[in-house]
Amino acid sequence: MSTVEMQAMTQKIRQPLDVPAAVRRRSLVCLGAVLALGLTACAGGGADTEVNPGGGGGSVSNYTGPAPATADVQSFKINLYDNIRSNNRCGACHSVEGGQSPMFARGDDVNLAYAEVNGVVNLISPVDSLMVQRVGNAHNCWLTNDSVCADIMTTWITNWAGDLVAGGGRTIELEAPALKDPGASRHFPDDTALFAATVYPVLTDFCSGCHASDANFVQSPFFAENGSMEAVAVAYEAVKPKIDLDDPAASRLVVRLREEFHNCWTMSCANDATAMENEIIAFANGVPIDPVDPLLVTSKASTLYEGTIASGGNRYEANVIALYEFKAGQGNTAFDTSGVEPAMNLTISGAVEWFGGWGLNFSGGKAQASTVASAKLQDMILATGEYSIEAWIAPGNVVQEDARIVSYSAGPDARNLNLGQTMYNYDFFNRSDASDANGNPQLSTPDAAEILQATLQHVVATFDPVAGRSIYVNGVLVANQDPAPGGSLADWDDTFAFVLGNEVSGDRIWQGVIRLVAVHNRVLTEPQILQNFEAGVGEKFFVLFGVEHLINVPDSYIVFEASQFDTYAYLFRNPFFISLDDSVQADGIDLEGLRIGINGQEVTVGQAYANLDTAISALNYDPLTGQLLAQLGTVVPLEAGPESDEFFLTFDLLGGNSYSRPAPVTPPPAVPQDLPPASNIGVRTFDEINATLATLTGVNPAGTGISTKFGTVRQSLPTVENIETFLSSHQMAVAQLAIEYCSALMENTTLRDNVFPGFPFGSNVATAYPASQDLLLDPLLDKVLGAVSSLPSQPERATAKTELEQLINGIPGDSERLGLADGGGPASRTVTIAKATCAALLGSAAMLVQ
Amino acid sequence: MSCTVSVSLAGPDERAQAFRIHNRLAGVPPSESILNSMEADIIDGDELDAARTAMTNKHFYTVTLKNFAAPWTNREQSVFVPLNDYTALVIGMVKDSGTVPFTDILSADLLYVRAGAGLPSANSNAYYEALEQAMLAPTFNPQTELVASTQSAAYGIPVNATAGAMTTRAASEAFFIAGTNRAMFRFTLMNHMCTDLEGVHDTTIVPDRIRQDVSRSPGGDSRVFLNNCIGCHAGMDPLAQAFAYYNFDETAARLLYSPGTVVSKYFNNDTTFEDGFVTPDDAWSNYWRQGQNASLGWSSSLPGSGSGAKSLGEELAASDAFAQCQVTKVFRNVCLRSPVDQPDRTQITAMTANFRAGNAYNLREVFAQSAVYCMDE
Repeated sequence: MSTVEMQAMTQKIRQPLDVPAAVRRRSLVCLGAVLALGLTACAGGGADTEVNPGGGGGSVSNYTGPAPATADVQSFKINLYDNIRSNNRCGACHSVEGGQSPMFARGDDVNLAYAEVNGVVNLISPVDSLMVQRVGNAHNCWLTNDSVCADIMTTWITNWAGDLVAGGGRTIELEAPALKDPGASRHFPDDTALFAATVYPVLTDFCSGCHASDANFVQSPFFAENGSMEAVAVAYEAVKPKIDLDDPAASRLVVRLREEFHNCWTMSCANDATAMENEIIAFANGVPIDPVDPLLVTSKASTLYEGTIASGGNRYEANVIALYEFKAGQGNTAFDTSGVEPAMNLTISGAVEWFGGWGLNFSGGKAQASTVASAKLQDMILATGEYSIEAWIAPGNVVQEDARIVSYSAGPDARNLNLGQTMYNYDFFNRSDASDANGNPQLSTPDAAEILQATLQHVVATFDPVAGRSIYVNGVLVANQDPAPGGSLADWDDTFAFVLGNEVSGDRIWQGVIRLVAVHNRVLTEPQILQNFEAGVGEKFFVLFGVEHLINVPDSYIVFEASQFDTYAYLFRNPFFISLDDSVQADGIDLEGLRIGINGQEVTVGQAYANLDTAISALNYDPLTGQLLAQLGTVVPLEAGPESDEFFLTFDLLGGNSYSRPAPVTPPPAVPQDLPPASNIGVRTFDEINATLATLTGVNPAGTGISTKFGTVRQSLPTVENIETFLSSHQMAVAQLAIEYCSALMENTTLRDNVFPGFPFGSNVATAYPASQDLLLDPLLDKVLGAVSSLPSQPERATAKTELEQLINGIPGDSERLGLADGGGPASRTVTIAKATCAALLGSAAMLVQ
Repeated sequence: MSCTVSVSLAGPDERAQAFRIHNRLAGVPPSESILNSMEADIIDGDELDAARTAMTNKHFYTVTLKNFAAPWTNREQSVFVPLNDYTALVIGMVKDSGTVPFTDILSADLLYVRAGAGLPSANSNAYYEALEQAMLAPTFNPQTELVASTQSAAYGIPVNATAGAMTTRAASEAFFIAGTNRAMFRFTLMNHMCTDLEGVHDTTIVPDRIRQDVSRSPGGDSRVFLNNCIGCHAGMDPLAQAFAYYNFDETAARLLYSPGTVVSKYFNNDTTFEDGFVTPDDAWSNYWRQGQNASLGWSSSLPGSGSGAKSLGEELAASDAFAQCQVTKVFRNVCLRSPVDQPDRTQITAMTANFRAGNAYNLREVFAQSAVYCMDE
């Protein structure tokens, strides 16, 4: 194919596709054929095992060849060609000097390189480019992680492709998987004993130098955690994704040794791999196989990675200058895959673990770039005077304060920018000529709005030199009232370092998960922010579950969009039915009770489609897009990991197939246990005390003095009947109220004469006491004790009366303990003594206990 | 209503028993004449009549029942709250036991007001605070001064939108204010089914109705959701959907009902998990009818689903758990302790059966039976 022909083809391919639906079948068949040819041609050459010199030090001379012939060649040059033609990258081989065909990195003529490169790129789906696949499969990656090279290569090609990928309605071709029945499988037992007796010793002997939290070279996951029983449990949980009980040889622990020669402990990696495999086999042999219930109506099975990739290419990244997607999943480096040199890679230190489904989990550590690499931010942001920090994060809690999530700083008191957390708020600090050297005052999300939640959120902080700062959460503008709007960034310090999850000084810990961070040297617009929010985060797949064998519809599948949700679960969402045969028009298929199975068994939690009751009908089925079954998502627990967990679906009814599902078992009620014996008596509570005193005295509780006093002491009186909670403060309040009632009673001549007929209130003390005191005491005791003498919880009447008599007259024979009446007094004191005697009885347990 | 509860007369004499019954029910000691009358009833073997006599004391209504219900009417579960329409509803329904089954507490278009004082306002509790003051008067007579009316008449909400205590102004102000309306369901569960959500936690329930505001990975750890959150929300959210048209307007200080329009609070934080359930209407479903929570004893004569708060209230009130809860609360209130042993549990079972007999749901008789059971203590 000539250069002209290739250009024409490329231009044809780059026409935006008018495809409204997210999913379409066979729309890229011709393109696929072209790429297949290219792949065949490329695959014929090239050395697979050559090791390039390390990245970062390669030399590339200035380009002195012919000018780019077209705008597209120019775009190719600045986005891809200039990045790959150096002698430490593709230019070392795929050039005239290297002699390796295709010469897409030849330095002598960019137009000729352009003609060559079209066979190895896919501009509509850059991730599917042969260049990406090759570099991602151990073909001369210039970094230590093949997947990172693949990501960077994807970014370069994406940038070249421009609008074709970013905004052009990307289509996805569903690929029919190999049909297989759900297999009986082994499941990890809850007990760690078998693991501890088989695989664990090998891990602790040979892997604990790194894969343990106390290792010299700490490297998560900690499947070689050593020491206590708790350590075994930690190791067990960490190792599950690395072990395939159904195919021990495919276990990651074995593959790393046998095929990737990862830290073998003898001279023979093959022998070490076999030793590891044998221990896993021993482990697996001790685990029973759980068969699939033969009565279930099941679909065909699929793993996550056997699905069709659904993500990628939908984010807006035209001005990204640093990007972290955390795809490596291991190691101590989080790679900057923006493709913008220099790569601002982050070194992970301290309590930071890789997070399943891409991400880092911070719990005290940090991920920090060098100051030299970080200067990229200063250089490129000052060039525009504006920027955006974008992150997908899940704060670990909503109580942490002054916690640094993303920072470009020198310590707690000096920073160029910082996105942080204070409880429910995101804080955004920016250093400008309108702020101090620490970025104060900050812009925060509104206090009462509780914007920040301990869940996955998409956060974008933008700085505009005129409008100032804004914060968007989940695509919504939540803060833009910048207290120090706009300004110049000229004061930024290029000796600061970019850091995640902490301050560079390590004393501003942020707890949570970061799943993506991007730095853009432009203000992202609201549509761009919304686009990136809608694109989501993490690797997504369309997983196809074959059902042709159940309904006799050719190439029929129920398809889920699925992804690894976090370290512990998968997300399944929006199932739809489709046949890959365009000629099929599905109709009249009833579907009820859809459930998700993993590794041979239905999942016990998260079955959000179990109540599904629908029908696939010609009315709703579109041969191009299928028929949506439910606009709903659910999370189900991860078992062995995305590489080996095998999913399938079950149905209570699909077409003519049904399963009679037994009703859930209602467990018998728990046998009630006897409680400790409780007191049979209690105290009156506040209102009861008030009503009782009113009843006993006949005083109106609504009277001014009484109601005021009751209002004062109401909440100091007992609130519950439990006598064991009675406090001295309660007694004080009771006494005050009793005095108030008795005072009101004794001051009311009509009332007191009715209650105590014949008692000489108008006489002096010596006349009234003790001669007439029975006229006072007997009515009081009758009212309070209810003329009941045999209630065990009540005081003996005679004893109570004696106590009151001694209160009035003193204790006989004890000259030190005089009574109230001793010393005599006028009539007013007679009344006072009556009040006191009344209050002593009404404020006692005789009234209080019920 | 007949009572099959057996009572032993061993121990304290009849006068002491009468004294205790009166104190426990009315909260105040009896007058001499009442005590004599009650003592005579007990001597005649009619202890329940003695208890019924004690309940003629106005303090049974103005003190005992008021403080019995007051904690149900606020989030803090404080007894120190002014009298309100929720508390008055409970007082009135007990007063009218025999003609008003207590199951109506969660579904009826019912309100108790002061005779001759007009109707309460929809946007103020002043009416009931005044009533509380009036109750202090020695001459206040609940039997004549507390009369039945309707929420629809007083508050202007449709009859089919009324749901007993749940649509009172007090409950609305406490549980429909802000939030997500789940509080109304939770507190109703606690107050009338005697269980918090932990008691009905079941992770096997189909989670298809959990709303978008519930994180499926709190703090980045989905195990928290799969082991904890899901166990409550899977059952609660489809039930709390019954309140989708209710909101307490803080500005107007009143309950608002918007038939056909789901209130915006049901879409709070809808980006937390976009694939969660989007509430389209007020249709509720009781997923607790299967599995472990079937033990709550749901009525087989009801469908287990419906629309709106009224039918949800009927569903809850028809359960075994509702009846047993009311009886247990009364037992605690009168005996001043929880049931502790098999005789106590047997008594609870017997009283629950009596409570439900003939669908009368006469709560006042449960007070009487409890007082008689505990009169020897």
